[in-house]
Amino acid sequence: MDVTIPLATLATVGRIFALIGIAIFTGHLLAYAAIKSRNFENVYVPLVNVFESIPVIGFLPLVLVAFVLTFHGSIGIELAVDFLVFDAVAWNVWIGIYQAFKTVPLHLVEVSDNYNMSFWKKMTTLFVPHSIPRVTSNIFSSFADAFFYISVSEVFTAGAATANLCPRGTCSTFGIGTLISQYTTSGDYVGVYYCLISVAVAVIAVTVVLSRLSKWAIAKFGVDTPGVIKRYAGRWRGRLVTSPWRAFRNQTNVFRGYASRLRPTPREGRPEAGGAKRVNVAKYAGISVAVAVLALLVYASAKVVASVSAQTWYGFFRETPQLLEYVGADYVRVSLIALASLALAVTVGYLLATHRRAGDAALPVVQVLAAFPAPTYFPLLFIATLPFLEHALPTLYTEVYIFILGFLSCFYYVFFDFWIGVLAIPSEFVEVTQNYRLPFLTRMRRVILPASLPYMITGLSSTINSAWAGIAIGEYWPNLAPQVAPNGLQVKFGMMYYISSNMAVGQIGAAAYVSLLFAIVVAIYGIAFTRNLMDLARKKYVVEEGIFAA
Amino acid sequence: MASLSIESEARTREGKILEGQDLSYHYPGATKPVFEGINLFTKSDELIAVVGPTGTGKSTLLRVLAQLIPQASGKVFLDGVEVTRPSPKISLVHQSIATFPWMTALDNVNLVLAGSGMDEQEAIQLGKRMLSLVGLQGFEGYYPKEMSGGMRQRVAIARALAASPEVLLLDEPFVHLDELTANEIRKEVYDLVFNPATTLKSAVLVSHNLHEVVQLADRVYVMNSSPAIIVDVVKIDLQRPRTERDPGFLDYVDLLYKGLNVKKAKL
Repeated sequence: MDVTIPLATLATVGRIFALIGIAIFTGHLLAYAAIKSRNFENVYVPLVNVFESIPVIGFLPLVLVAFVLTFHGSIGIELAVDFLVFDAVAWNVWIGIYQAFKTVPLHLVEVSDNYNMSFWKKMTTLFVPHSIPRVTSNIFSSFADAFFYISVSEVFTAGAATANLCPRGTCSTFGIGTLISQYTTSGDYVGVYYCLISVAVAVIAVTVVLSRLSKWAIAKFGVDTPGVIKRYAGRWRGRLVTSPWRAFRNQTNVFRGYASRLRPTPREGRPEAGGAKRVNVAKYAGISVAVAVLALLVYASAKVVASVSAQTWYGFFRETPQLLEYVGADYVRVSLIALASLALAVTVGYLLATHRRAGDAALPVVQVLAAFPAPTYFPLLFIATLPFLEHALPTLYTEVYIFILGFLSCFYYVFFDFWIGVLAIPSEFVEVTQNYRLPFLTRMRRVILPASLPYMITGLSSTINSAWAGIAIGEYWPNLAPQVAPNGLQVKFGMMYYISSNMAVGQIGAAAYVSLLFAIVVAIYGIAFTRNLMDLARKKYVVEEGIFAA
Repeated sequence: MASLSIESEARTREGKILEGQDLSYHYPGATKPVFEGINLFTKSDELIAVVGPTGTGKSTLLRVLAQLIPQASGKVFLDGVEVTRPSPKISLVHQSIATFPWMTALDNVNLVLAGSGMDEQEAIQLGKRMLSLVGLQGFEGYYPKEMSGGMRQRVAIARALAASPEVLLLDEPFVHLDELTANEIRKEVYDLVFNPATTLKSAVLVSHNLHEVVQLADRVYVMNSSPAIIVDVVKIDLQRPRTERDPGFLDYVDLLYKGLNVKKAKL
């Protein structure tokens, strides 16, 4: 095996985690702004849904070229690749943190308000700790998603735009996705298999670590969850306690103590009960950001609209009913995929959450299935099954393949979110269901599903939004296994087919117009589904509030 | 006033409803058991209490008696039959008032009737009757967040009663309530234990409040030491209803207090 394979795997894992780290950091700031400002929330949630839904690979070649042109050479390519990977990892982390912030128990929010906690104090003592279980569950999905598309994220082409920028018009950076792509192009399938083995080892190792991290997070940051909080004694504990940071913090605390004794707070500066109304900085900042983003969108849209001739617009409008039918057809496909994913989550996910050993054994398998880059192994599956499926389902076999690709690309979001949602149910509620021997269906319908609803909304939202990328691959893959299918895999009735086929022949305007229609539909969905369901969860389904005494 | 020796108590085990025999429990990862060799039982129309310093595993003991967690050793019997899994006949009322926030008071109560074979109308009537029994008539449609702590605890008790339990396990059920409400519910709970309208035969109360324990309990098991053991069993021999002004009331409180402190000094 080439020694660069494990190194490339490590580079990819490092890149993914660095970008997940950035997504977590920015996600906390944005989520806080969203819960503080309804205006910002109304812009933020639909935008995240749009970004999560639209497969960036097909739609943003200009952005990638902009990176390469602006930063030149390998830095530009690295940033462009990072942008693609960030697109795979960020949105569900952002939505997860937003969901966590929306469902912080009211009692705890009141405590933080009661003591006039600063933004920093609120974040470090309440919002960030409360979001940790959601963040850890979303890392599962983000990691899987990043790997799923790694062979098309670390290597990209943007047609004529990149022809002169990178060797043979293909830009790439060091990583396992690039190696897989290179081995595939050169027909070195042994190399591809070694790469996949290396990916599997990395995914299993990361899954084991994440699984433990999730259980620790649930035990420590969930309210009265059944898990036991593990404390890490021994040499690391000593090192952590005497870390330079802690020493520095202690020093500054000492100075702060002296300072506060020397300089008592003037009476007029002290917070008073029912005192003067404070200026809501977050609210106005939220409004400002929301207005700025909207203004930018309106400006960009106006420029685009003005640059297109009236005749072209007329053609687009005439086609709109047909295009909406394409959108509708793809929504039916997405709905089926989402329903299947949900069904898998509430059955297998529940089983793994409630049976520790089964969970320990099966989670890495699920994670490997979720993370394995489908574009690398799907052709083999296609070649092996096409004769049978084409014979058995002559009119529907393409739909089956689209379903498989779509399902593989997104089922894990709702799966992992539901799994951790079940783990996070307070032990008192679990005990009530055990004590009264509630039948399985009653337990699911009355307790488990409502109690995990906030998690489920997040997961389902990301599953629905992420299904589009898998569908995009499935609806238009013309060069898939030409030895058994001369036209590859194509379905004529679907928005993603329309976009991809138009992009392939340079009809960017038509692709952009249907993308715009799609973005509008997704934005409406973002408000109607994600935000409204999250509001409902906030009002009624914050399980932690049920075990607090008044 | 009578402090029974453990040996003499063992000789009087007849007509027992719930019995724990030689129970011990280890927390996962702990090097020693939290309690061991615990023997206790309840008789018909009897409310027993378990007291002990914090950390002796009283709440854990209740969960073991309900078979919500498995003991490391020992056995639990209900009416002489070994209990190996949770049963609605042994209903636990949690300290933290576990009411489901998305269900109304009536839905919270009726939850335990699912799978009982009872038709919907019958279940609704029973739920209403149980809520009425704990003084919540007219609040059937309220959500937990629209109720006070005392009302929520009554909902939890009504839910436990709707399951037709023989034994009620009460884990510090009054600790979050104000004194007036707590006093009111204490009386209600005691009346319920001996109310022929319910299926209850006995109850086990865990509490830190020694006055409450003397007011309610027929016998008191005192847990102490580490691992915790039963260090004393005190029979409360006072007329009912009891108040702190009754002669001998405070003597029992002192006796229990001594039981909690003697072993502590030795630790």
